[in-house]
Amino acid sequence: MIKLQGVNKYFFRGEPREVHALRDIILTIEEGEFTLFSGASGCGKTTLLNVIGALDSCESGKIYLDEKEISSLDEDARTTLRLNELGFVFQAYNLIPVLSVEENIGFIMRLRGFSDEEIRRRVLEVATLLKIEDKLKSLPNTLSGGQQQRVAVARAVAAKPKIILADEPTANLDSNNSQILMSMMRELNEKEGVSILFASHDELILKSVRRVITLNDGAIIDDYKQ
Amino acid sequence: MFKLALKNTLFYKGRSITTAVLTFVSTILFILFISLQDGSHNAMLENSLKIYTGAIEIYHRDYRDVGGNEYLIQDAKAITDKLAKIDAVEAFSTRYETYGLFSSKEYSAASMLAGVEPSKESVLSSLGTALKEGKFLDENAGNCIYMGAELVKKLKLGIGDEVAFVGSASDDSFAADIFKLCGVFKTGLFEFDSSASFVSRSYFDELMNGYNKASYITIKLKNIDDADIVNSQIIKVLDDENLESLTWKTLMKSMVEMMEIDSIFGYISLSLFLVVIFFVIMIYGFINISSRIKEFGVLRSIGLSKKNILLLLFYEIFILSTISVILATPIAAYICYYYNINPVVIKGIAEMYKDYGVVSDEIPFNFDMFTIFWNVAVVYILNFLSILYPYLYINSFKPIEATRHV
Repeated sequence: MIKLQGVNKYFFRGEPREVHALRDIILTIEEGEFTLFSGASGCGKTTLLNVIGALDSCESGKIYLDEKEISSLDEDARTTLRLNELGFVFQAYNLIPVLSVEENIGFIMRLRGFSDEEIRRRVLEVATLLKIEDKLKSLPNTLSGGQQQRVAVARAVAAKPKIILADEPTANLDSNNSQILMSMMRELNEKEGVSILFASHDELILKSVRRVITLNDGAIIDDYKQ
Repeated sequence: MFKLALKNTLFYKGRSITTAVLTFVSTILFILFISLQDGSHNAMLENSLKIYTGAIEIYHRDYRDVGGNEYLIQDAKAITDKLAKIDAVEAFSTRYETYGLFSSKEYSAASMLAGVEPSKESVLSSLGTALKEGKFLDENAGNCIYMGAELVKKLKLGIGDEVAFVGSASDDSFAADIFKLCGVFKTGLFEFDSSASFVSRSYFDELMNGYNKASYITIKLKNIDDADIVNSQIIKVLDDENLESLTWKTLMKSMVEMMEIDSIFGYISLSLFLVVIFFVIMIYGFINISSRIKEFGVLRSIGLSKKNILLLLFYEIFILSTISVILATPIAAYICYYYNINPVVIKGIAEMYKDYGVVSDEIPFNFDMFTIFWNVAVVYILNFLSILYPYLYINSFKPIEATRHV
């Protein structure tokens, strides 16, 4: 489903402070995986997630999504790809403050042109799955951190993307909320068949995922299933 | 997208109120300024056209540049017969102007003497209504002369007094007569009031041997805005190389130029005002958008295209502009309408600008819905332009950089 061939990424290229953020990454991620990119801070896990998620580009190597080469796409094509194929969960939730929970969850579906009825039905479905169906009319800032992150997950999953990329989704949550979130995301992965890739060093996530890819200094040093 | 824009305008109250208030103020001031400028120009033009100059005048080609009896229109009737067949022409009259020396008992002054058709002038010009003392001319006025107030003052004349005239007739012979002052006019145009006098055409023709001759033929149109079109029609109908037909734009060139210069300076000062408003709106928008970089980064990350971001900003400014314009336009239109009917009075302005055709201290505003609509369109365009720089600034960030922006 996702294939990376010799991907390299640099920051501050050509400057004295150059950082080789990703080194010759060769990786295959199959459909429906529940995988973690793990490692110490600065090891390149978030960069790898961003490169896979078409949020960032790489200097060399190729990235394929369903056999389609996506690493050479221009910004507009990458935007379209993100809209249609990918879902994102950010550390700081990043919900749209002026929209209600219902509107936030249905936002991407609306952009993709789903009908009102489809949006209403799907929003209720994922909200029920994530146990926020009673918060649909609320504004994000009236919810707890855990609830907001569940709304963010609901937004990411609602339009049925192929992959969800979650960057430190539990970093702002307490252990209880983190546990709830992870069990819900695992349920989503199993029920919806959506691939979920995490970048985190949270032990809880490490224990929840089925595959762990460990990075160090921009290179993959370990890759195992559990 | 529109719903999101609407909610954003309600959420970011500070920016919304500032933008709306600035747009409201600029819309009102813009409409009033243009209305006042157009109104004063229209008044100047109307006054000048009403007083004496026609909407269109027909001359011998060399009369205005060279002058003299040989360049008089020799067969005025042939021309007026043709004019009578043009629908857009409301009225016309032949005028014969000459220059000579007027002398009272003690004083002398050089001045214009014109033979006019009194009944036609009542329709064509405001000579009759500019009467200050005595009476206006009629067809049987004989040697009655109708003289400008400043000239009367110069010659120290009173109604009923006699004034001698010496000039030359149409055949270059010596022409002299004694007129009786029957009426004094005051148009407010100083130059005109101090150098013009009129007698009835029938008496004038006898004195000057001016039968069927004319210095020019003056024409009033049913609609002054059709001057250029009708003028082309007249030129075609006359089909005479020795004649020229000129509209008021040429006849009152200095006034038109003055109005154009006045408009240019007006537009420059207005532009400066609008530029200031534009930058204030843009800076407020920019500050607001700068504080929303992260929000736009998230939107871009989850799949909003640059076009969608522009559309979002466009809707936001459109909503604010529309609210302001809806509130401001009726107020401004009402003020224009009110001062169109009840002109603003500025004491002394007529005296100050008498050389430019201002004959009254009243300055009416122009009330024209088309002008108001284009003014509103300018405000919209400026507001739309004000989002371009903030938009470019947002797009200078990569989506992922923007999501981390603090």
